[in-house]
Amino acid sequence: MSAWLLNGLVAVPLAFAVLTWLLARREAAAVGLAVLGGLVTLGWSVAAVLTKGPDVDVPWIAQLGVRWHLGLDGISGPLVLMSTLVVALCLVSLVRHDPGCGGRAGLAALLLLIEAGVLGSFLALDMVLFFAFFEVALIPMWFVINGWGEPHDETGRRRAATRFLIFTVLGSALMLVGFMIVRSQAGTFDIVQIAASYRPSGAAGVTAAVLVGLGLAVKTPLWPLHIWLPDAHSKAPTVGSVVLAAVLLKLGTYGFVRFWMPVTDPGWRLLAPFVAGLAVVGIVYAALACLAQTELKRLIAYSSVGHMGFVVLAVATFTLGGVQAAVYASVAHGLITGLLFFLAGAIKDRYGTGDLARLSVLYGKVPRLAGLFAFGAMASLGLPGLAGFWGEMLAIRSAVYPSSGLPAPTYTVLAVVAAFGVILTSAYFLALMRGMLQGAPAAVRPVNEDVPSIELATREVAPGTTEAGALRRDVDVMEWVTWGPLVALTLLLGVAPGLLLGPVSEAARAFFGGLR
Amino acid sequence: MRTQAIDWAAIAPPTALALGALLVLVVDTFAGPPRSRRAALVPATLTVLTVVVAAGLAARLWHAPHRTFCVVRPLQGPAPCSFVVDRFTLVFWGVALFGTAVVALLGTVAVADGRTPLGEWNFLLLSSATGAVTIAAARDLVTLVVALEVVSLPAFAMTGLRRGDRRAAEASVKFFLVSVISTAVMLMGVSLVYGATGSVFLDRIDAALAAGGVVRQVAVVGTLLTVVGLAFKVAAVPFHMWVPDTYVGAPVAVAAYLSVVSKAAGFVGLMLVLTVGLGAFADVWAPVMAVLAALTMTVGNVLALRQQHAIRLLAWSSVAQAGYILVPFGAAASSARVVGASMGYLAIYAFVNLGAFAVAAVVGTRYPRQRLTDYRGLVRDEPGAGWALAFALVALAGLPPGVVGLMAKVVVFDAAAGPATWLAVVMAVNVAIGLVYYARWLAELFRPSVTEGGSRYDVPNGVAVAIGMTFTAGVVFSVFPGWLLDPVLGVLG
Repeated sequence: MSAWLLNGLVAVPLAFAVLTWLLARREAAAVGLAVLGGLVTLGWSVAAVLTKGPDVDVPWIAQLGVRWHLGLDGISGPLVLMSTLVVALCLVSLVRHDPGCGGRAGLAALLLLIEAGVLGSFLALDMVLFFAFFEVALIPMWFVINGWGEPHDETGRRRAATRFLIFTVLGSALMLVGFMIVRSQAGTFDIVQIAASYRPSGAAGVTAAVLVGLGLAVKTPLWPLHIWLPDAHSKAPTVGSVVLAAVLLKLGTYGFVRFWMPVTDPGWRLLAPFVAGLAVVGIVYAALACLAQTELKRLIAYSSVGHMGFVVLAVATFTLGGVQAAVYASVAHGLITGLLFFLAGAIKDRYGTGDLARLSVLYGKVPRLAGLFAFGAMASLGLPGLAGFWGEMLAIRSAVYPSSGLPAPTYTVLAVVAAFGVILTSAYFLALMRGMLQGAPAAVRPVNEDVPSIELATREVAPGTTEAGALRRDVDVMEWVTWGPLVALTLLLGVAPGLLLGPVSEAARAFFGGLR
Repeated sequence: MRTQAIDWAAIAPPTALALGALLVLVVDTFAGPPRSRRAALVPATLTVLTVVVAAGLAARLWHAPHRTFCVVRPLQGPAPCSFVVDRFTLVFWGVALFGTAVVALLGTVAVADGRTPLGEWNFLLLSSATGAVTIAAARDLVTLVVALEVVSLPAFAMTGLRRGDRRAAEASVKFFLVSVISTAVMLMGVSLVYGATGSVFLDRIDAALAAGGVVRQVAVVGTLLTVVGLAFKVAAVPFHMWVPDTYVGAPVAVAAYLSVVSKAAGFVGLMLVLTVGLGAFADVWAPVMAVLAALTMTVGNVLALRQQHAIRLLAWSSVAQAGYILVPFGAAASSARVVGASMGYLAIYAFVNLGAFAVAAVVGTRYPRQRLTDYRGLVRDEPGAGWALAFALVALAGLPPGVVGLMAKVVVFDAAAGPATWLAVVMAVNVAIGLVYYARWLAELFRPSVTEGGSRYDVPNGVAVAIGMTFTAGVVFSVFPGWLLDPVLGVLG
C-alpha cells in the first residue's frame, strides 16, 4: 500500500501531464484535467504523508548499485505538501488567466511534469535517483521560460532560459561527480546508510563535499552563484516564477539538508564556516540589491536569495535546530514568496509593467490586492506571528549555538551580521510598500500621458468606464481561491510553528543519528 | 602434423555477413536497375535479414567463450588464439549489428533520389560490418589491423558512391587520405610493440610487458603510435579534422555509419589493445588518454556551439561524445572498469545518435541544406520524427526524459570520479556546454512552424522503421536502464 502511495506521487502528476498534453487541442478541457491532476496529487501527497509506511527500495540498475529508493519522512514531508499545494494553486490560476504565447494546455502539462520531477527528488533516498529526478524538472522549466515568458522580449527570455539551464546542469553535473566520489568512499549510493555510517575523511571526502555543495549552491542559489536567478524570474511567466521560487529552489535547500550534511564533516575547520559565510554575504548582498531594484519581480527574486541565505546558514551549523530552521524556512519561503510572485504577476497583468517607478498608490486603486501584497511583504520581512519569522529567528538562533566542532565565535559574528540583514530586509520591503502601495500621487509624480499607469495614479477614474477596465479590477473570486490557502497557511504556521518543528526534529534525529 | 582446427560456430556471424554481402551483390546484378520503389528496397531488406541471421548465430555463443585460429604447437604456455568470442565480443556485436541494420534502413532514403546504386551500397555496408564484427573478436594485432581496414575501405566507397556528387567525392578522398595515414602510423606502432615483446598476440604482449625485460622505450613509443592510429579512427582531437567535412559531404546514412559503427570499431580496437595487450603500460597511456579525452570533448563541444548546419553540428557533437567515451581510459583505475564504462556509454550513444541521424535523413529529403531553422515546427508537422529527434537530443545532452543518456553519463562519471576527479570535473563543465547547442536545436523543433498544413514529409518506410527502432530502444531503456546496463556492466565489470 505504501509503495503504491510513494510511486504514485511521481506517477500521478506524470500521467496527468501526458493526458493534458494529449488533450491540448481542446484547451479548456485540458486545463480542467490539469487542475484535477494537481488536486489529485495534492490529495495523494496528504494521504502519503499521513500514512506512515516502509520505504520503496528495489534495485534499479543493479550493476551500478543504483536503487529505486523512495521514502517520506518529517524532513521531506512538509516540502512535498508545500510543493503539491503550490503547483495545484498554479494550475488553478491558469483556469482564468491566460499567459498567452503557446496556449495554456502545454504550460499546464509542463507544470505537472515539473511537479513529478520535484516530488521524485524529495522522495529519493538514493543519490543517483535524486540526481535523475533533479534533472527531470529542468527541461520543462526551460520550456516554460522560453515559451511562455515575457512576451515582448523573445531574445531576453531565451537567454534567461538558457542561462538557467546551463547553470543548473553545470551544478548538478558537479554534484554527480561528488556523489560518485562519495560512493567510492562509502560503497553505496543509499543516503540513509551514508548518514548512518559514513564518516567523510581525507582529500577525497573534502572534494566530494565541495562538489556536492557547489552543485546544490547553484540551485539554491547561494551567493555568488545566484546570477541566473533574477533574469529567470523576471522573464518567466507568473506561474513559472511561483514554481521556480516556491518549489525548484527548495530542491537546493532540501539537497543541502539531505545530501550535503551527511557527506560533510563539521569537524573540518574551513568548509562549513566558509559556506555559512557565503550564506551571510548572500543575505546582506541580496538586501542591498533589493534596495536598488527598480523592477518588482527582480526585487522579489533577490529577496529569495536572501531567504535562501538563512536556510544555508542554518544548515551549515550542523545542529538539530539548524535542520529545523532550514526546513521551516524553506516551507515558509515557498508559501510567502509563492504568494508574492502571484501578486507581482497580478500587478504586472493589471498595469502592464513591473517597473517600480511607474507603480504607485495601489492602496487607492486595488485596495484588496495591495492589502494582500502588504501582508506578503510583512510575512517575508519576518513579522512575528507570520511564518517568515520563525525560519529566520531559528536560523539565527542555530548560528549562535553551532555544532561543537565548529568555531563558535565565527558563527556568532555571522549570526549578528545575519540579524543586520533582517533589518535591511525590513528596510527594503517597507520602502517597497511606501513607494508602490502608498504615496501622494499628484503632488509627487507629474502626469505623463505616455504612461497609462501613472495617468491612472494621478486621476480619478470613474468605475465602469473602459479605462477602469476589466483588467484593472481588484482581486476576483478565482484569485481569492488561488491565494487564500497561501495566506491561511502563512498565518497558521506563524501562530503554530510546532506543527512543523515537531515532525522535523523527530525525522532529523532518526536520519542523522547523533545530531544534537 | 596437426592442422589448425576451426570453430565454425564462432566465425559463423562474420561469415554470414560476408556471404550476405555477396548475395546482395549477386541479386542486384541479376535483377538489374530497380523498376519500382518497392524493388529498390530489396537490397536493404536483404541486408537487414543478413544482420538478423548473424545476430541469431551470435546469440548461440553467449553461454561459453569460443576460441579459434589458435597457435597449433605453442613453444610454451597455453596456445594463444587470434579469434575469441567472449561476452565482451558479443556485447559489441549487438551494438554493431543493431547499428548496421539501422543504417541499412536509413540508406533507403536514397531511393527517391535515384542516384545511389543501392545494391553496391548495401554490399559495401555489409562488407564493412564484417570488419566491425571481426575486430571485436580479434586477439592479435595483425587481425586487428586487418579488420580495422576491412571496416574502413568499404566506408570510403560508401561515402563517395552517389553519382554526380562532388562534395561526396571530396569527402571520400579526404577520409581516405586521413585513414591511410592513420593506418600507417598504427602499423608502425604495432611493429614496434611486436619488436619489443616478440609477439603479436595480445595476451602474450601483456605477459611479456608484465614480466619485464622489454626495451621499455621501444614499447612506449610503439604504444603511443598505436594509440595515435586508433585516435584517428575514433576522431579524437587533434586527429579529428576529417570528421566535419566528411560527415557533411557524405550521405546522411553514411555519416550515421561513420559516427556509430565505424567509430565504435575504433573504440573496440582501443579497448583491446590498451586493456588486454598493454594493460601493464596503463601508467603510460592513461595520462595520454586523459588529455585526449579532455581535449576531444572540449574542442568538440565548443566548436559545435556555433554550427548552423545540422549534420555539422552532429559531427562536432559526435567528436565531443567520443571524448566522453575516452574518459574511462583516462581514469584507468582497473582495466575491467574502463571497458565496462566505455562500452556502456558506446552502446547507449549508438542508438541515440542513430536516432538523431535518422530524423536528419528524413528532413534532408526536403531540406538538403540542413539548416537548424529547417527543423522549425517539426514536432507539430511530423510528430513521429519530431519527438524522436527531441528525445535523441535530450538523451545526447544527458537529461531526462532521456534517462538513458543520463545513465550513460553516470556510468562514465562513476569510472572517472576518484581516480581522475579533474577529468570528471572537466566533463561536467562540458556537459553544460553541450547543452547549449542541443537546447538550441530543441527549441527549433518546438517553435510554431512557418507554413501551415500537416505532414510535409514523405517518410520512406525503411527510415520510419529505423526511427521507430531507435526511439523505442531509447524509451524502453530510459524506463528500465538496468535492462541495458546490467548485462553490459555485468559482463565487463
